[in-house]
Amino acid sequence: MALGRKQWLTASLAAVGLVLFLVNGRGLRAQKVVAPEEALAVLKRCNQCHGATLQMSKLDLSTREGMLKGGEKGAAIIPGNAEGSALYRRISGLQTPAMPMPPVSKLSEQEIVLVKDWIDQGAKWPEVPAVTSASPALSNQTYPGGYRPRVITDQDRQWWAFQKAVHYPVPQVADARLNKNPIDAFVYKMLADKNLQPAAQADRRTLIRRAYLDLIGLLPPPEAVEKFVDDPAPDAYEKLIDRLLAMPGYGERWGRFWLDVVRYADSSGFEFDLNIDNAWRYRDYVIKSFNEDKPYNRFILEQIAGDELDRPTNDSLTATTYYRIGPRVRFREKNYPSYRFDYMDDMVRTTFQGFMGLSVNCARCHDHKFDPITRLDYYKSVAAFWGYVDYDQPLMPKPEVDAYNAKLKALAQEMTPLRQEIARIEKPYRDKQRADLIEAALKKYPADIQRAIRTPEAQRTTGQKLLVAQVIINPEDTDPDNLVADATSSAKARAAAKADQVFGVTYTGGAKLIKLNAADEARRAQLLTRIQQIEDRLPAPLPVADGVRDGDYRLSPDGLGDSHIPGTGRPDYGITCCFIPEPGKKFEVPPLYFAAKGEDLKSEASTFPVEPGFLTVLNGTVPSVAAHPPARADYSTSGRRRALAEAIASPDNPLTARVLINRVWGWHFGTGIVDTPGNFGRMGVLPSNPQLLDWLATEFVQRGWSVKEMQKLIMTSETYKMASAFSTEANLKADPTDVYLWRFPAHRLEAEIIRDITLNASGQLNTKMGGEPFFPAIPTSLRADQPRGIWELTKEDSSTWRRSVYAYIKRGLKYPMFEVFDEPDLNVTCERRVVSTVPTQALTLLNNEFTLMQAGFLAERVFQAAGNDQARQIETIYSIAFSRRPSDGEMRANLQFLAKQTASSNAKTALTGLAHVILNLNEFVYVK
Amino acid sequence: MTNPFEERDKKEQWISRRKFWMEAGMGIGGLALFDLLNTDKLLAADCSGSGPKVESPLTPKPPHYKARAKSVISLFMSGGVSHIDTFQYKPALEKYDRMPMEGKGEIKVRQGYPGPLMKSPFKFAQYGKNGTWVSEIFPNISSIVDDLAFIHSCVGTSNDHVISHYEWNTGSIQMGFPSVGSWVTYGLGSDNQNLPGFVVILDAKGGPYAGPPNWQNGFLPAAYQGTVFRSKGDPILDLSAPSQYMSAEQQRARLDQMNMLNQGFDDKYPGISELSARISSYELAYRMQACAPEAVDLSSEGDETKELYGLNDPVTASYGRQCLLARRLIERGVRFVQLMSGAYVSIEDTWDAHANIVSNHTQHAREVDKPIKGLITDLKRRGLLDETLVIWHSEFGRMPISQRGIGRDHNPGAMTVFMAGAGIEGGQHIGSSDDVGYQAEDQRITNHDVHATLLHLLGVDHKRLTYYFNGRNMRLTDVSGVLIPQIAGTATA
Repeated sequence: MALGRKQWLTASLAAVGLVLFLVNGRGLRAQKVVAPEEALAVLKRCNQCHGATLQMSKLDLSTREGMLKGGEKGAAIIPGNAEGSALYRRISGLQTPAMPMPPVSKLSEQEIVLVKDWIDQGAKWPEVPAVTSASPALSNQTYPGGYRPRVITDQDRQWWAFQKAVHYPVPQVADARLNKNPIDAFVYKMLADKNLQPAAQADRRTLIRRAYLDLIGLLPPPEAVEKFVDDPAPDAYEKLIDRLLAMPGYGERWGRFWLDVVRYADSSGFEFDLNIDNAWRYRDYVIKSFNEDKPYNRFILEQIAGDELDRPTNDSLTATTYYRIGPRVRFREKNYPSYRFDYMDDMVRTTFQGFMGLSVNCARCHDHKFDPITRLDYYKSVAAFWGYVDYDQPLMPKPEVDAYNAKLKALAQEMTPLRQEIARIEKPYRDKQRADLIEAALKKYPADIQRAIRTPEAQRTTGQKLLVAQVIINPEDTDPDNLVADATSSAKARAAAKADQVFGVTYTGGAKLIKLNAADEARRAQLLTRIQQIEDRLPAPLPVADGVRDGDYRLSPDGLGDSHIPGTGRPDYGITCCFIPEPGKKFEVPPLYFAAKGEDLKSEASTFPVEPGFLTVLNGTVPSVAAHPPARADYSTSGRRRALAEAIASPDNPLTARVLINRVWGWHFGTGIVDTPGNFGRMGVLPSNPQLLDWLATEFVQRGWSVKEMQKLIMTSETYKMASAFSTEANLKADPTDVYLWRFPAHRLEAEIIRDITLNASGQLNTKMGGEPFFPAIPTSLRADQPRGIWELTKEDSSTWRRSVYAYIKRGLKYPMFEVFDEPDLNVTCERRVVSTVPTQALTLLNNEFTLMQAGFLAERVFQAAGNDQARQIETIYSIAFSRRPSDGEMRANLQFLAKQTASSNAKTALTGLAHVILNLNEFVYVK
Repeated sequence: MTNPFEERDKKEQWISRRKFWMEAGMGIGGLALFDLLNTDKLLAADCSGSGPKVESPLTPKPPHYKARAKSVISLFMSGGVSHIDTFQYKPALEKYDRMPMEGKGEIKVRQGYPGPLMKSPFKFAQYGKNGTWVSEIFPNISSIVDDLAFIHSCVGTSNDHVISHYEWNTGSIQMGFPSVGSWVTYGLGSDNQNLPGFVVILDAKGGPYAGPPNWQNGFLPAAYQGTVFRSKGDPILDLSAPSQYMSAEQQRARLDQMNMLNQGFDDKYPGISELSARISSYELAYRMQACAPEAVDLSSEGDETKELYGLNDPVTASYGRQCLLARRLIERGVRFVQLMSGAYVSIEDTWDAHANIVSNHTQHAREVDKPIKGLITDLKRRGLLDETLVIWHSEFGRMPISQRGIGRDHNPGAMTVFMAGAGIEGGQHIGSSDDVGYQAEDQRITNHDVHATLLHLLGVDHKRLTYYFNGRNMRLTDVSGVLIPQIAGTATA
């Protein structure tokens, strides 16, 4: 058994990669010197049960003395002998019962190895006592239901990310070149401290390709490259950055990054994967906001509370689509009150991880296990959102909306008498049809059911009553479709569903016209024509944003599949007014009970109602109020979301600016200064250059939260301009993954950009911006994998060769090329994209019609420029794809390839072959 | 107090390295590149996976402890199989037929109007050494019950199809979590690098409820996503190029050229293993092109085998083909194969018997009954059953009360799952539901318990198979999961 464990450890280390000791890829494990703090950070978990406050088995693991002394079962550690130490034997499972016991989570393999090495190395204690807080003390205050939140201590508040960022003085470094841009001073100081040798500046060809890919996600046109290379102006590079920042492609590239953070998709997922009709308006809003360099604090306000501002704009209303692009069931929602709580959880998770790098959502069922966030904090955060309901916000001035509604009403009034007359004409026919249908339907049933139905109501047994209630669903309903109910849902739901193509594959029904006698038929036809004429006059629908506003969710209109019929568990809240609050009246948000999950509303109401409030640990740091309603008489809303947004967007918030600037840094360099951009808590990674992070964050706020200004600062730094093709053995050994940025980290482009630059290289990119999404071509057979929701089947042609940010994103069916190239999970905020390398990626670029077709176009483009001269062809294709000339070796190799291929086919096919090769190369899909 | 920044060097370095290697998904350095000149040899190279090894994210990894099974075949019946019309015989239902269900608390149905109790329209009989009850709709499975271990007390949390699909196929009722097959291949890799490690074969009519999220990788790297084997044409998307674009020879020449040029680029960037990983991924792709079609080519199977799987009967041929492919795939070292029965093109194409339990279940049972017996028989006689876990499951059971007189609504309160292979003692019955099958009673078993047990049989401790995501180490079993002792046995961890 022990042997098996060891094998596993070694193997899992190789796989998971605690690789300080993997030498040249040989899997031999050497011991790493473990810092005491590191081991104690792991063992901190033990202190919940064996610490200062609680010593189970009389064991205290919070001090070295305690470990040596041990508890009832003897010493916990024998320094220098991990295998013989009870502590190691228990955490590794060598001795049972294994520790820690649930609910404390088990140690990971790395952690176990770490502790083992630490003991083997003598179990040294840090010279200064490390942070070894025992499991947090509980507050003295007990809430109804018995909840006692953990106490939040000064020590908790001292966590680096809760401290206000400092605008550190810029260090001076010896090299004058590196003192021009403060970023360089911070980075090079760190490199000097670590004895790492920085790379020299990259050549201009590399720089321009890097800048283009980075800022607009496209390849630099060969002419632009040559012009830049030859530009003698000292500020040629700066001007290049300015030009790129001003291009519309900038928003298309950088907006896409933001869409990852907000888990953007065009469909809602779950069973029906319904289309979110106007999600694309939000996508366009994001692109526009980046292009306009909207101050980031404003960007936050608009998304969280765009409707609660004093002067909302179409943009700010559209921004609230933020709430509706998450995963939503959108079916029978009223029958499942728990869904709303799950949606709130989605909002808490996305908002706090996305904007503040805190996993507040981890405190849904208990106080946070690692960070000073209580369950009450979680519910206070939910309370901030609790007032919102989905609401289609018209994107027109109010008078126009009123006029539109008035017109609709008038037309409806015109139609009503016509419809009533049709109903009158049809009634006798329908009655008869209903009777016939019942009769016919009944025959399909077993005798006992027929008997039950024929039995007069008063004489039916209880069982028979239940049967009858099931079979004849609604005797009052004259719609034959509803008579013997469809197995799936009501006719109304089906009709609505049909409109959304939910049942697109199977449902072909719809309101069937009942057959009448000739005279009645003629009259009805006449009426129908008149109705049609009125319908033709209906105005085009107003543009709306799929936004939100405050309202009483308990009274929201029934949605798809919502049913009032018994047994479905639909709660009756016993209220009748009002879904949308009246202007001028204060809106009271419905109560939210602590710990409620919507599973049993009655018993859940026995705790206590929770009012909104900001995270306790930030009390006194960030000014915040419970609600900040807008100064408007014509719109009633609680102002809770606005209060939350203002606390998040406050310059005093220690997290918001750091989190965003760290993301921006990571989007430029492939890795953030904090390598866990969505987690600045204790489970996150500490910043690799904390002073730089703080300086950037404070500078960002001082510069009016301008993302573009910060990007210009970053991109004009020597740090950014370093070459990536550089290494020294010492550097590689000391910092193999380039954490401290001794060279520019080459990194693979994302799925969308690989597709974009392929179109870009082939010259086929359709640059149409904005508007409704397009559907990239997929094999027809794929549609059957997820037939629900929409997906228009298209062909490879220029209508779909738009930038990938405009491609339809369907939760239930990812576009295969994006999926294999690590498109992130669409359901939760994306901390950072994973880059994995798998054969199916190769298959896609090798065999998919898209790449092959574009290779043909690229060849054509090259031929246009270079004619039959194969050397010139090679030069041209290199200048398009790599912004450089081929080396002599590359030239020779490619000439050989072309010659051979020409011999076996023809020159055109050979060139297409070379183009196909180029589109597959590492150099093509990497920023270097 | 220590300045946390001072811990930076230590903590970050390993996290960033950990991330690096995890994401590259590749072994470090020393990548086995192929002898590109010997491509013919490569083509002929056995697709069994015993050929030259190459480092990939799916490189086999040893289990935590001795495994009882190497691979898994999941037979997933989409739509909700009625446990009380298949493997749970309930005499009480006959006794109380058409009477209200009482004393069971609030009755929550999916579609409203709870009906009276309804006895099974099917005849039950006992089979095997332990007198296992099986209804008449499984005449073939009934003859192999002594190879199967039945769990009668599985419970779910929702009566929504899709949420329950996620629950059983990904461990979470939320969308977007990695599927069981993803976790398994993440933990163990796969024994054949020439094929995907996790293969899904859909009902010929289309995908199940919830579609692709059932086999997605969620937050795990893309290397672990399930690959759907298409029923028509190439088994894998983009396995071959449309012929008008590129011949096989041209492709090979292009690949060689790519390799050469990539090597040159790679040399300029020492220490970036992603680059060399990408080079070998092209070679793996190339091999897959030869090996995937071989794996799905049934021409070498004998007539007797085809008959065994029901390939000669139009009703059973489709699922029979899925089952036969599953055997061929695990034979070739694929780690996890999932076969879906039920296509949500319409509810009647799934096991979702709201409208009529007789017509629906008779049809779907007939489609899978013979193929499943064929699969288990074939695995057994080839000596593969001992190292394969076969699990038959669904997203929930169905109601003991009727829906519109002759159908049954969803019931997450109880369902039957059976397992075979992996040295599991057959013929046993684990757990039970109440007298009418409304709620599991004895030894309630959740998705987490089943998943923990499944991993255990593969030699993996479900508590130790973790992946860092959004601030925590995630697990297939979240914070739950208890091994099912009758299945997991006393094999020590």
